[in-house]
Formats: sequence, structure tokens, C-alpha cells
Amino acid sequence: MGEVILTMKDIDKTFPGVHALDHVNFELEKGEVHALMGENGAGKSTLMKVLTGIYTKDSGSIIYEGREVEFHNTHDAQEAGIVIVHQELNMVGDLTVAQNIFIGREFMKGFMIDDRKMIEESRKLFDELHISIDPKARMSDLTVGKQQMCEIAKAISHKAKVIIFDEPSAALTEKEIEDLFAIIRDLRKQNLGIIYISHRMDEIKVITDRVTVMRDGTYVGTLITNDCTKEDIINMMVGRVIYEEPKTHSMVPADAPVVLKVDHLNAGKMVQDVSFELRKGEILGFSGLMGAGRTETARALFGADPKTSGDIYINGQKVEINSPRDAVKHGIGYLSEDRKRYGIVVQKTITENSTLATLEKYMAGLFINKAAEKAVTEQYIKELDTKTPSADQLVVNLSGGNQQKVVIAKWLVRNCDILIFDEPTRGIDVGAKNEIYKLMNRLASEGKSIIMISSEMTEILRMSDRIVVMCEGKKTGEIPIEEATQEAIMDKATRDIA
Amino acid sequence: MKTIKENALVKKLGFNRIILFAILLLMYVVFSLIIPGFAGMARIMSIFNYVYFLGFLALGVTFVIATGGIDFSIGPVMFCCALMSGYMLNTYGVPVVISILASIAIGFCFGCFNGSLVAFVGVPPFIVSMATMNIAKGLGSVFTKTQSVSWPQGNDPSGNGWFRNLVKVGDVPTGLIVFAVAVIILFIVMNHTKAGRYILCLGSNKEAVRLSGVDVRKWQMLAYVICGLMAGIAAIFFVGAYTTVQPGLGDTYNNEAIASCVMGGTSMAGGLASIGGTVIGVFVISLLQEGIMALRMTKEVQMIITGLIVIVFVYADVSARRRKN
Repeated sequence: MGEVILTMKDIDKTFPGVHALDHVNFELEKGEVHALMGENGAGKSTLMKVLTGIYTKDSGSIIYEGREVEFHNTHDAQEAGIVIVHQELNMVGDLTVAQNIFIGREFMKGFMIDDRKMIEESRKLFDELHISIDPKARMSDLTVGKQQMCEIAKAISHKAKVIIFDEPSAALTEKEIEDLFAIIRDLRKQNLGIIYISHRMDEIKVITDRVTVMRDGTYVGTLITNDCTKEDIINMMVGRVIYEEPKTHSMVPADAPVVLKVDHLNAGKMVQDVSFELRKGEILGFSGLMGAGRTETARALFGADPKTSGDIYINGQKVEINSPRDAVKHGIGYLSEDRKRYGIVVQKTITENSTLATLEKYMAGLFINKAAEKAVTEQYIKELDTKTPSADQLVVNLSGGNQQKVVIAKWLVRNCDILIFDEPTRGIDVGAKNEIYKLMNRLASEGKSIIMISSEMTEILRMSDRIVVMCEGKKTGEIPIEEATQEAIMDKATRDIA
Repeated sequence: MKTIKENALVKKLGFNRIILFAILLLMYVVFSLIIPGFAGMARIMSIFNYVYFLGFLALGVTFVIATGGIDFSIGPVMFCCALMSGYMLNTYGVPVVISILASIAIGFCFGCFNGSLVAFVGVPPFIVSMATMNIAKGLGSVFTKTQSVSWPQGNDPSGNGWFRNLVKVGDVPTGLIVFAVAVIILFIVMNHTKAGRYILCLGSNKEAVRLSGVDVRKWQMLAYVICGLMAGIAAIFFVGAYTTVQPGLGDTYNNEAIASCVMGGTSMAGGLASIGGTVIGVFVISLLQEGIMALRMTKEVQMIITGLIVIVFVYADVSARRRKN
């Protein structure tokens, strides 16, 4: 193996309420592809953000090319040759491919931007990587896979020595993944150090040389990929925490009534003719790849986005839902995948957030009955075991799991019977995750009906009574939990992709 | 320092507001020391005159800023209200009571106009209020045929001068009572009603409030309506103190009202607002105006200072937020 290019030693980082990184070590050699693995919330992304200067570490040291470094922003890191290819791509859709690649360091001809030279240079880069993309194409016209290739080309053009891939395959098709791997092998030959973050065990075995595993913000160990099995890695990832087995049979009684029926729902490209039923006390899992249209379906159902056609029935009655207001009136609550943007008002207190959907119930004439409001909030803090010093705490000061509980409280105060959980455990650490699972199971057993959108296969298999699979805006399958396997779901989730 | 900040009373009143109040007192002392004859009732009454109309403007715009919006039309709208209703009074001979109600109604209409464009049509507040500013100036000019309008004096033979009692009776600043009542009502609206709660929450995260099933457009519009109403009331206090309004003016008061808000701790980013803070801010600006006049400097100097105040306080707010994140 090659010489060491990067060493991260004893990296420590604490956020309010979360010890995100607890003395973590990581080492990368030239010419290796090094997988960084761990459950969601294990600290992989945080570690990479510390490396690239997005977060400042509390302690520890980063040694890069033999010198101790500390980057203050991604630009510094880029200058030094450490580039990150994000899961969510950072591209300006309205600019061309070439303009995107050279954004911030445009070639100039006097006072004017030299577009021709940028196009030429982009073409050279693509040739080098054996990619065929037109540098003059508008970025938003490309597929996600192609956009990612552009990100890689951009990274290379920065004279990168270390490239970090953050779940690059999450939104890619099989074919695109193969192309990606070809490029990665090429880069490895050129003696670059590559950090590869992914959840997909099979990919790890195919593409990486070594694996470093993290768990709950700690460093667990590093293995040579060829010398270990999938099970070894999984064991390191989950540790001694007994991993709950997938559900084996539906918990819903056979005669449970249908509480929600969605009939031929259409909303733009991402929701095409989606129909399904939800029964009382059921947890209905929605599985699929990123961009399969699950969130869009939920938002259209909830009235957050306009729908083009389709009928919604609640308890057998046809209802009109044209705004979230209508949906809430009919007892539907929506917990967004992006809590901070769509779920909570972070600068307000737990109390203010808890009664946001139900304020009219806490009015004494014209005025808000603050005592009653506080009482119900405290009741739910207790019931959901939300960790906070008081109901007056600003939500911004809570950890992800506790913020999620505030959103759940908001809908429970409203007494919603149908709850849509969109990625309920995203950005939540392992312990809190289990609590959210328990809570969802309890709610279902109390007769609430839950739609759970999740990109984590283990979560889908563990929680769902039935699974709806979507792909490119269409429902491609419905699997009872008794018959569900990862393979069966994956097969349907990639069904329509050419 | 930290222990002072954590004192319950200090927390309740707000540390920054206490500091601002101290600055207000300090300014008064300094002006009194450097300007002979500044101390005394005459100046204070004059400051009060300024506080009333600016106060109503600033209280109104506090609601708009709380939603994360902005209103650059309040000054000209106030003038438009005073011009149109005053013209009705002088030219058509409508009773003064009707004129006053007309002024408030005109302000209300402007508020509805701004609010519906922002909340229901989705035009950015900046653009809407800039356009409305010109509409208000133009409308005031057209309605009065580009002539200034003088409201009746207190001893006017028509008996219409009684409205000045709203501002003062002899040497008693009755306006202070009206203003205090308005402050109390608006404080309650902001902090203890559904309207205030939703306005503050939507200013902080509109989408989250919408997805909670709240009709955010209605409440967002309401903020502009309150703002317009306050401009209509401010108009009465302006003419009650200064008698005459000229068409085509009023925009200097936008900045002064906005400066009062941001000084008092209302965040331009929305979601945070302090009625009490705005009131102290209004007193600071009014005192500043009086002091500058007494120093025989021009209004332009004050415009420079209020401009700088806005920048400094907005910068302080932005950097405080950045530090928190």
C-alpha cells in the first residue's frame, strides 16, 4: 500500500446535547479507496465536515501531507486538495456544465469571462475521465448521475489529492454506478486517496480497499476489505446493541377498517397514478430510491403541493384536500423529512410549537390561555420522554431526536388519526431512534394509522406491516411484510429504471 | 455581566432594552448639558409630539417586520391619509369625526392592498411597498390637486379644532394616554393572541406553520392591515401636532420607524418582535430629532444618523444570529 496522505487523530466534537465525535481516528493512504461506514448518526458526515472545515473540531489533530492542518472552510480545504462530492449536489441548475465546473474561478479574457476556454477545459477533463457530457448543456437538463460526474470532474479540476464521496450511489441507477466505479478505479490508479461513504454493503466489497467503521460518534476499527465478511462489518457497525429483527407478520387485525384510501393520485412528474389503502392501526412503509416520489406523494396527499387529479377517502368518505389546513381538519398530520424547514419553528419554544396546529383549542376568548397550553405541552414532554429542562426551552436547543418528539407532540395534541412520518429517524442518533420506533409502534397499537416513508431498508423491514414500493413517481409494488425481503423491495424499487 | 443577564427581572424586560433605555436617558442628559435651555417641559412636549405619530408608524411596522416583511410605504401612506381626509374636511366640509375615520379607513385600505399583494399574490414585500409608496404620494397629490392641506387650529371658529385635544389639552399631553393605550393593546395582540402568535411563528418559519394547517396568508395579510391602520391613526397625530401636510413627502419617516423597531430588538429576519423595544426606540429617535434641531443642524443630518442606526442594529442582529448558529 501507498504512503499515508491523511491522518485524523483523536477528533472530538460536541454539539448541544450530542457528543457527535468522541476521539475518532481515521487514516487514508494514497491510491486507496477507504470506506467509512456506520449507521445514520454514527458521525461519518460530521467527521468529514470537520475535515473539510465546515465544522471546527473541539480537539484532536488533522495531519495532511505530513503537516498539521486546520481548514476554516471548504474553500481552504479545496485549495489544499481535499474535495467532497456531496450526496446532495451543489450545482447551479441554470448554468452550463462548464460554467458550473469553473464557478468561482472563471477564466478571464480581459474583463470578460472566457466561456470558450472553460468549455475546452471541461472537455479535456471529461476525456480524461472517459465521460461523455456536453460542457455546453444546462446542468438542470442532466440526470442526477451525470450531474454527479460533473461534480467529480470539478473535484479533479481542483487538483484534488483526496476526494470524499458522500453516499454517491444513493440516487444512481445500476449502469450509472458501474460508470462511477470505473471512474473511481481510474482515480485510484492516479494515486489519489478516496474516502467512500455508503450504506450499501455490496458496493463496499466491490470497490474499497479498507473499511473504517464508526458507531455512535466513536471509532470502532479499521479492516482490510478483502479479509473480512459482510457480517464482520455489520457486527462492528451495530456493536453489542441487539439489533431488532425485522417484523415477521403484520400486527393489523384482519378486519381492521380502511381509514385512508388514495385513488389514482397525480401530481406532476413525481406522482403518477398512485393508489393505496391504509388501515386502522397499520404502519404502511413507503420504500424506494431517492427521488422515487414518496415525499411528493405524501405532500400531495397532505395538500402541501397541488395535485392534478385523484381522490382521497377518509373512513370511506370522499374528502377534498387542497391545503394542509384541509388535511389537518380531516385528522392527518405530516412529519416532514426536513424537520428544520418544514416541521418546527426552531426559534420558538416547545410550547409554541406543540400547540401550533391546535391553537384554537387553547384560547380563552380573544386571548391565548398560556397556562392550559403549557399544561398540555408538559403532559406530552412527559409522555414522549422529551429531554428538556422546561417547556419554555427554544426548540433550536434540542437534539434531533427531541426535536422530532416536539413535532410528534404537535400532531398528538391535535389528536390526528393518520400520521405521515417522512424519514422519521433522519439525523437522529441510535438511542433516540429506538425510542421513536417504540413510539410509532405504540401509536399504531393505540389505533393510529401511520404512513412511514423511509430510505433505510432495515427501518422499513423492522417497522412496516405492509410495504408500498415506488420508483420514478409510480407505485411499482405492494408487499405484505410476511413476504418482504431486501431483494424483493430493491427489485421493485429499480423496476422502471432503464 | 452574565449574572445580571440571568436575573429574572432583567430577562423579562430584556437586557438589550434596558441598555437602550439607559442610552435614551444618557442622550437626554448629554443634550441637556451641551444645549443651553434644552432641559425643561417645552422640549419634552415637543419630543412627545414627534413620539406620537412616529410611535404609531413604528408599532404598525413592527408587525410587518415580525412576519419577515418590510413596509417602505408607511410615511407616504400617513401623509396620503392626512392629505385626503384633511382635503375632505376643508373642501367638502365633512365633520371632523368623519375625516378622522376616513384617515383611518384610507390607512386600512392601503394595508389591505399591501397585505393582499404580499400574502395572496406573492409579490415580495420590498417591491410592493416601494410601489405603494409612490402610489400613496401620487394619490395624495392628485386628490388635493398638489396643494398642501392645513388642518384647523384648536381655536378654529368652525369648532373642528377639538380633535387637537387628542394630542394635548393646554399643557397636558393627552396624546400620551392615547399612545399608551395603543401600546398596551398592541402588546397584548402581539403576545397574547392567536394573531400575534401566528405572525411571529410565520416570520420565523412560514412553511412549517403552513404545514401545521394554519392559513398563513390570512395572518400575514393581517400584519400589513394593522400597519396601515396605524399609519391612518398616525396621520391624525401628525396634523394634530404640526397642522400642515404637503403632498409628495413622507418617506423620511419610513426609515425612522424602521430604525425604532430594529433598535428595540425586532429582527429584520422576522420571528422576533418587541413592542416595548419599539416604544423605547421611538423615544430615542424623537429625542435625537429634537436634539439635532436644537443644535441648529438640519433634518438631513438626522437622516444620515438614522440611516446609520439601521445599518448598525441590523448588523448587530445578523451577527448575533450567526454566532448562535
